[in-house]
Amino acid sequence: MSIEQRQPVRVVVLGGGTAGWMSAAGIAALLPGLASVTLVESEDIGIVGVGEATLPHIRGYVEKLGIEEAAFMRATHATYKLGIDFRDFGRIGESYIHPFGSFGEKVAEVAFHHYWLELARQGLAGPLGDYSLAVAAARANRFTPPAQDQSLASTYGYAYQFDATLFGPFMREHGLKLGVERIEGLVTSVEREAAGGDVGALALEDGRRIEGDLFIDCSGFRSLLLGGELAEPWEDWSRWLPCDRAAAMPCAHVPGAPLRPYTTAAAMPAGWRWQIPLQHRMGNGYVFASGFLSEDEACAAIRASAEGEPLADPRVLRFRAGRRRNSWQRNVVAVGLASGFLEPLESTSIYLAQMAITYLIELFPEAGRIDDRDRDEFNRLVDMEYDRVRDFLILHYHATTRDDSPFWDHVRTMEVPASLADKLELWRRAGRIEKYSDGLFYDASWIAVYVGQGLLPQRHDARAAFADPMRVKAALDRLRQAIGEEVAAMPGHEAFLTSETTRLADPA
Amino acid sequence: MSAARDPLQRVVVAGAGQLGVLAAIGLRRALPGAEVVVLGLAPDPGALADRAATALPFTNRLHDRLGIAENDIVTRAQGSHRLVTRYFGWGEEGQGGAMPYGASIDPALRTRFAQEWGGGPRNAAGQMPAGSLGEVLADAGRFAVPPEGEPSPLAEVDYALRWHPDGYRALLIETARKLGVIHAPGELAAIEPDGAGGIAALSIAGAGRLPADLFVDCTGPAALLLTALPGFALEDWSVELPLRRLIVARPQQGMLALEDRFSLLSEGWLGEVAGRAGLQIALGVAPGVTEDAALRALGAPPLAGFQLEPGRARAPWLGNVVALGDAAARFEPLAHLNLDLAHRQLDLLLELLPGRAIEPPERAEYNRRSALTMDAVRDTLAAHYAAPAAQRVFGLPILPPALAGALDQFARRGRLPFREEAPLLGQEFQALLAALGFTQGRGPQAVAAQGPAASAAAEALRFRRQAEAALAFAPPYAEFMVR
Ligand SMILES: Cc1cc2nc3c(=O)[nH]c(=O)nc-3n(C[C@H](O)[C@H](O)[C@H](O)COP(=O)(O)OP(=O)(O)OC[C@H]3O[C@@H](n4cnc5c(N)ncnc54)[C@H](O)[C@@H]3O)c2cc1C
Repeated sequence: MSIEQRQPVRVVVLGGGTAGWMSAAGIAALLPGLASVTLVESEDIGIVGVGEATLPHIRGYVEKLGIEEAAFMRATHATYKLGIDFRDFGRIGESYIHPFGSFGEKVAEVAFHHYWLELARQGLAGPLGDYSLAVAAARANRFTPPAQDQSLASTYGYAYQFDATLFGPFMREHGLKLGVERIEGLVTSVEREAAGGDVGALALEDGRRIEGDLFIDCSGFRSLLLGGELAEPWEDWSRWLPCDRAAAMPCAHVPGAPLRPYTTAAAMPAGWRWQIPLQHRMGNGYVFASGFLSEDEACAAIRASAEGEPLADPRVLRFRAGRRRNSWQRNVVAVGLASGFLEPLESTSIYLAQMAITYLIELFPEAGRIDDRDRDEFNRLVDMEYDRVRDFLILHYHATTRDDSPFWDHVRTMEVPASLADKLELWRRAGRIEKYSDGLFYDASWIAVYVGQGLLPQRHDARAAFADPMRVKAALDRLRQAIGEEVAAMPGHEAFLTSETTRLADPA
Repeated sequence: MSAARDPLQRVVVAGAGQLGVLAAIGLRRALPGAEVVVLGLAPDPGALADRAATALPFTNRLHDRLGIAENDIVTRAQGSHRLVTRYFGWGEEGQGGAMPYGASIDPALRTRFAQEWGGGPRNAAGQMPAGSLGEVLADAGRFAVPPEGEPSPLAEVDYALRWHPDGYRALLIETARKLGVIHAPGELAAIEPDGAGGIAALSIAGAGRLPADLFVDCTGPAALLLTALPGFALEDWSVELPLRRLIVARPQQGMLALEDRFSLLSEGWLGEVAGRAGLQIALGVAPGVTEDAALRALGAPPLAGFQLEPGRARAPWLGNVVALGDAAARFEPLAHLNLDLAHRQLDLLLELLPGRAIEPPERAEYNRRSALTMDAVRDTLAAHYAAPAAQRVFGLPILPPALAGALDQFARRGRLPFREEAPLLGQEFQALLAALGFTQGRGPQAVAAQGPAASAAAEALRFRRQAEAALAFAPPYAEFMVR
């Protein structure tokens, strides 16, 4: 008997936020016949409703599900994103863009940043961002999709900024078309199987029971199944990432201000503030550490610093940094906030959910039987993803000279995880990046943050100083010039959106 | 502000085999102001990287960067091209398969952060092994090196080079001379420690003292420099790699062929590396096989026999000494990995080239990455001995955990976990496993795919067209070689 003839695995997704609908639609689309998907969500509880900035990988998800980009952007009021502008992190008054793209190219085995460091020492180089097409385009508020060749115009990527309250519903519509069964109701208890202790069914407030073989816990911070019912231990990372609250307050766009193709993260006395431009409004919020700032103070601060007309009162969200030790335990797989949380400083949360879905689909229980080896492999991959993001986020706080508030004093002087301490030593002493090719954030990202936050190495590669500095300068000038010409030829971000009206949402 | 490091001023490469000389070329190109000295110790007969008559496509790229022209290798070192390695008998009765080379320069790597979902190194699951055009061409005996930078039906076909080691080494020596690499003949008399875990100078019999900032140990399995250091430790691979004896035959009449072969016999594995320079035959002797039986299986007059003690240096960079090739790791010449590994290590050294003062973290990073590659090499070899029929010849394998996990995932789920710093691309390893007779499971997506018949047919048609175009474009290989 072949696998195809077996009964489909009954997948029950608990939760209808971004993670829930991405999981349900992804499984329904990619494993037709292998899985039947039921999703339970409760309007009474609602969704977290934030999470607007993404990473380029999301495009792969959209594409793989056969969703048309234009329709998707229109439905979610999305804009394009080329990177994140970090302000006041290394030092007040300084800013840099961490782009979806690279800086220059290596020459004779030596990475570009060594040449840049050498020229900068001699006062002959512009800011590092001058040598990145993504940064230059972002600064000019221009956008066009990257070329599909090997040219300079191919050296960047892009993501979306979308309305989090519209993305879930969009995926819901798509999921329903793919045959996902949706159940509205409040889960009040969880039934376990007598033999083995797997989750057998969810019981709803109105008495309905939903049986399943595999449960995907997308219940958000509640983590109802993995954290609650199965009591999977929590690994706490708040000693390195002390921010545990956000005060979110959407605003209208400032009339006449250009629509930025990037997210802004501005450091604040007890955390940082995001600004995420959408088509119809500006997402806005203050991520802060409650140990250093009260909720009322944070709400006052976000009101005071918001640039556009507020569209709602500030809403406070609570969270903590860390993750469940295992995201897959028994027949429960947690995806999204139910699995763990890393603050949105680098817009990684939806990416982490997407990766978990990817891995789950690759390791989906064969003939409905969960094999320990597949579960272990899933947990290994999820851990790898989380750990890499974690170190990179901590760097943003630690690489600073700020001593203007107790919060910055704390993060500047705290002891960082050994894995990050090693990376920092390698950079400080030799200007090199610890290399990996799986997971998130490679050399260019680390360099952007190190340099952008003023953490320069003590020494760089000797070979960068061999060539005549004027010749290296000429080469860098040519690169900057070529980037300038590319950018000048790009349409404005807003113009690009309006020129293809299929991408524009109906005026609300 | 960061300052440039003081560059290395003197580098001594110990060992003048083909590896040592290429290392000297690389170092000299990287450090035009430095003195690069090759201490001309005769290559150790057991140095398999130094004796290798071939490598993998990675070496072609390294040669390009170091200014070694492929054409010179072809015309002056009897160079020839390999498109596939064929495996016979490793699976069940009559099973065979070919391992081609996958797309080697991945444009996605240029903006890796922008990798899309499913792109990048992560999942090779469910894809056709890339480069199987290579097999079509090898079957037909047709090939031409694709014209550079032009679109051609062969643009996706990657290949490895073979050569005559003496001719190749002579070519490298000539290049090294032109670049101003200094040759210091002589025997190593003593090693003078620097008191910091490294070496201050080498004493050369009759030629005095050879001090340096950095020493590169290319002395073969003896690892004369590295083993002299207090921090030296060996990691034994003899549990994972059961082969102990290798017999090499006298080279046979050269032949033009686009493939090499590894066949599993009841006496062990028989390697046949073709090429204009001569057919090189070697037998990896299975445990318990008598010398007589082994010689019969070799099928040609023997030239030399080697005892193998597979393993690697725990840390190939200690103090100011970096060991490359057999000095860092030794293992059988089973999948053309000996020189490939050595060249990857050389490339890594050039990437992480230290200044005069070596920083401990950069040494640690080199050792970390180099160890990842060496262990991936070990696991690639171990996969051979875990092949269905090989288990009957070499005994039940004891699998390294990462390989056990990969084989399990391959068999049950049709996927291979990504491995950092591995010498083979995901698709290449997948092709190797298929050639070795491992059965690839079907991943959930493949099982669920709707209308598989239609899309498989379309895929097959597309491939057939590609293959026809490639065959029409490529002349018979012999014709290409006399051009
Ligand atoms: C301040 C902040 C800013 C963020 N910014 C970003 C960003 O810029 N980029 C990014 O990628 N991510 C961001 N995130 C993370 C992002 O919001 C989440 O990863 C994403 O929204 C997924 O959430 P979720 O689906 O896991 O949870 P939720 O949206 O909370 O969904 C939980 C679901 O479970 C249901 N549920 C819960 N309990 C029950 C029950 N008992 N019965 C029935 N249903 C139940 C709820 O009704 C709901 O449908 C941010 C998060 C925060 C807190």
